[in-house]
Amino acid sequence: MPNDNDVQIIAPTNTLKAKLGTAACSLDPEAIKRAEAAMTKLKVEFSDWIVKDIAHLLEASAAFAAERTTEKADILFRAAHDLKGQATTFEYPMIARVAGSLAKLMDELQTREAAPLPLVEAHVDAIRVIHRDKIKDASDLTALTLAEELEARVRITLARASQGR
Amino acid sequence: MGGFRFDRLKILVVDDNQHMRKLVVAILQAFGVIQIYEAADGERAWKFFVDVNPDIILLDWQMTGMTGLEFVKTARTSPDSPNPFVAIIMLTGHTHIDHVRLARDSGANEFLAKPVSVKAILSRLTAVIEHPRQFIRTKTYFGPCRRRRPIDDYHGPERRNAADVALIDDTAGNRA
Repeated sequence: MPNDNDVQIIAPTNTLKAKLGTAACSLDPEAIKRAEAAMTKLKVEFSDWIVKDIAHLLEASAAFAAERTTEKADILFRAAHDLKGQATTFEYPMIARVAGSLAKLMDELQTREAAPLPLVEAHVDAIRVIHRDKIKDASDLTALTLAEELEARVRITLARASQGR
Repeated sequence: MGGFRFDRLKILVVDDNQHMRKLVVAILQAFGVIQIYEAADGERAWKFFVDVNPDIILLDWQMTGMTGLEFVKTARTSPDSPNPFVAIIMLTGHTHIDHVRLARDSGANEFLAKPVSVKAILSRLTAVIEHPRQFIRTKTYFGPCRRRRPIDDYHGPERRNAADVALIDDTAGNRA
């Protein structure tokens, strides 16, 4: 009879390696160069993409302000989370940082809809300002001050929420 | 010096953000991947998975409907899964160690934190091709071995008893 410690180890056939062949050098430098060039080519689109991602965040924030439901909170969280992951690629690292702070606030509270609206809106405003002023430097003093202040307020909010549980 | 024949691969890219999909697809195409399938959510991804049976899935964690984690668990354990051993690279904006553990515990092969870069994508692809991990089946988990080093490397007190372990060679194409 099997016990709780029973474990099977399965060694699947390496079909990927068989399919791709035994390359002498898997990290083809030419492929890396081509991909880097593709990224550079895409950079002209990044400014358009970040505008659309920020517009989506603004819409999500307005919808959350109007109706603080789980659904609206989830949409806002995902919009912030997307910016956290992508804004650095789109050359706005400080937007990624502020969006990360907003995503952390929403994700670490007991429910995302419990996020205090003024703090949510402060994050969204900061993102708007960083983009409006085209701040692409991660060491920009204005953006750093904004980000640090928001992160501190998020820490306090989460600590208070945690004490209240 | 030539690299892998990426043109022979089928890759499914799943992300609800079209910009991220476009970026990842552009990088894969530059590597030489031709057969790329895109899905904006878990449900459409599942359809592609069943219809196309991709070799590798690049999967976003946060999506509406079926999340990336749910997709991985279903791909590993559903009787409808066309390939429970499929290589899955979890792509996510989450960076906390707890999230890495969650992705690992769901059965993802590799974890790739955004922002993505050419080198990061290539290194994860190379990892699943060159160093595929053995699969483990216990009462509560089926997926790649969650230890990074080969199982035989460890001989400490918590080492599983040999009597508890059954090694199965999948050359005959074992199903999960």
